[in-house]
Amino acid sequence: MKILGTTLKLLTFLIILLLLGLFGYALFGNRATIHPSPLLGTEAPDFTLKLFNGEKLRLSDLRGKAVLINFWASWCAPCREEAPVLEASWRKYREKPVVFIGINIWDDKDSALSFLTRFGGNYPNGADPKGEIAINYGVAGVPETYFIDPTGKIVGKYAGQLTSEIVDYFMEKSLLGSKNTAVRENER
Amino acid sequence: MIKRTVTKLSYIVIYIVFALSPIASHTLGKDIDTQVREIASLLMCPVCQGQVVAESNSELAKNMRAIIRKQLEEGKSKEEIIAYFVERYGDSILGAPPPKGINWVLWLFPALALTAGTVIASFFLYRSRKESKDAETDITEDNPTAVEIEYIKKIEKELKEFDS
Repeated sequence: MKILGTTLKLLTFLIILLLLGLFGYALFGNRATIHPSPLLGTEAPDFTLKLFNGEKLRLSDLRGKAVLINFWASWCAPCREEAPVLEASWRKYREKPVVFIGINIWDDKDSALSFLTRFGGNYPNGADPKGEIAINYGVAGVPETYFIDPTGKIVGKYAGQLTSEIVDYFMEKSLLGSKNTAVRENER
Repeated sequence: MIKRTVTKLSYIVIYIVFALSPIASHTLGKDIDTQVREIASLLMCPVCQGQVVAESNSELAKNMRAIIRKQLEEGKSKEEIIAYFVERYGDSILGAPPPKGINWVLWLFPALALTAGTVIASFFLYRSRKESKDAETDITEDNPTAVEIEYIKKIEKELKEFDS
């Protein structure tokens, strides 16, 4: 009887300890592991994008240059807010070995073209109507931006509206190339 | 004789066809829509709240279902398709967390809770049963309970009053 009582107390104590442990992990655990981008540090998936001007652009042809890939949609408010920032950043970096690419997803062509005329985006822009490029990059929303170094590795991912400081930070990382380790994805 | 043999053989053929049909329908008969739905129901929609890809009407979920279909048509297995999405979105895309690392707690906790619950319930049942058994053995003529003592006292008192 006494042995059973002691076992019961021990069991209750262990259960409470386990629950507290889980609670603590949920509160203070490494939250960055909840939504990591498994593609950081790996080779960027290659794609051929049909641009709005009719030309075709292949990512693997851009080796030796840092690449910024921005996924956007005309109906997305943060995309409108960041469009002038991207345009300004592109103008700032275009003398350097840097390429900006805009990929329009979950949208229709007319709205996308009207958006580009209104909010800017003179760098190469094209549509991914089937969302295949977006899914290949693990895109889960718009705007989402990927930064690729000259060796073709993904060195950064930013989910959300960009600012010029954020673009500068990641472009610096991208231009540093292979010297740099993968940058952790920001929290959405 | 030949006619009888042919009839027997045709019965055997019919039997084999019927016997194998459930196996055949299980392995080959799953149409592509069912397979797409099956895989899509194992993946969480990244832009939805608690919805699987199979149930969501978001553009992303539609695109994902199309990719599942395309990969099935290319001859990829269910495991390969799931791995494709995990490689891009991480484990959080999975409807059920894979049994590794801290996730083991999630897999083992229900079993542990069930075991602990059974032990605790058994203990209480054992104790209450033992108590009632003890109480039963205690109630004898030589060993009256407090209520019985009270009752006996009352009877004795009333008998004395009656006698006097």
